[in-house]
Amino acid sequence: MAECGEISMMLGAFEDSELEPNEMQEVAFHLARCESCTSILADYSTLGRDLRSIAAEPALAGFSSAVIARVDRLPQPVLTRIERFIRRQLDSVSVGSGIAWGGAVAAAAVVTIILMTPYAQQFANRATPPTVIAKADANAAPAANQVATANEPTMADNDSHADISRLESENHSVAVWSEPRRDTTVIWLPDQP
Amino acid sequence: MTLRPGSLTFLIIAITAFGAPGLPYAQPAPKQVFVYIDSVMAADTNEGTDPRLSPLDKKLRGLFGFSTYSLIGHNEGQTDCGKMIAFMLPGGKILHVQPRAIDDDMIAMEIVLFDGTRPMMTTDLKLKNNGTLIVGGPRYEQGMMIISIGASTSGTSPMQAQATPPPEANNH
Repeated sequence: MAECGEISMMLGAFEDSELEPNEMQEVAFHLARCESCTSILADYSTLGRDLRSIAAEPALAGFSSAVIARVDRLPQPVLTRIERFIRRQLDSVSVGSGIAWGGAVAAAAVVTIILMTPYAQQFANRATPPTVIAKADANAAPAANQVATANEPTMADNDSHADISRLESENHSVAVWSEPRRDTTVIWLPDQP
Repeated sequence: MTLRPGSLTFLIIAITAFGAPGLPYAQPAPKQVFVYIDSVMAADTNEGTDPRLSPLDKKLRGLFGFSTYSLIGHNEGQTDCGKMIAFMLPGGKILHVQPRAIDDDMIAMEIVLFDGTRPMMTTDLKLKNNGTLIVGGPRYEQGMMIISIGASTSGTSPMQAQATPPPEANNH
């Protein structure tokens, strides 16, 4: 059987029902036989009641609405504001006018798609073939007396640096480098054995 | 139906949301790009540089260590931005060039090199206007093939104006 010293340490928690079930049972058995501990427990109970009676509870009227109002005043993310705006707009639209608005938006979307997207260009360019096959230009080169000196600015001498954003090849030996002085970019695809 | 200010804003947002993705394509007319291809055979046969390649000579010698550079083909064509142009090159190679956009002085394009029907290389790049990209490496006869790909928005090719007509390069 537990001693009064051990039980007295648990009486406060027993009063507040904060003990484990087996501890609650042990204290209850002890109290049934011990007047001293029962008296101490009665003091705890009296003390608790007195404290609760003198403590003033804060007024909570309007607390919830005040918190919500304050949250609303906090800076909201843009997407949240847009979502709320759209929701308010949708809530304000009645069924009849909603159909009208939906039709107007759909019509605007169709016009926009036709006028401002590649479909319009595809439609406009339907007559032209999508691919141009270039022919070898055997006569493009002029006479020999028109050969330029190397000092004249030519396409070949221009700054020809290329910004390569994607390069795909089954050739694992593919290499890319730039000649620093002329800044010419080279893609090298050696034949694989 | 009454038109409230909030509803008007909603309509504008809806139109903008539908229209915004199409704005980049709302160009009045496609821009043209002129593409120039020079196919060169490079080898170590000590024959020097083909005189028709004199504008490219310094560049080729600066980039590679071959002793012979011979022009084996010249192709050129023009196409609109967004349209692919195909070139038949020596050695059964096919080159597809598709200009995508012209931004300031840079031409964005996709280039695909085929060996017959097999794609050898696909690349997306931005090339300076009147600039050239060199693609090389495939074996060709006794040497290697070097392809100079030039692009221009002006339509005048210095290579065309300054090169010498090759007697043996015709019909390539």
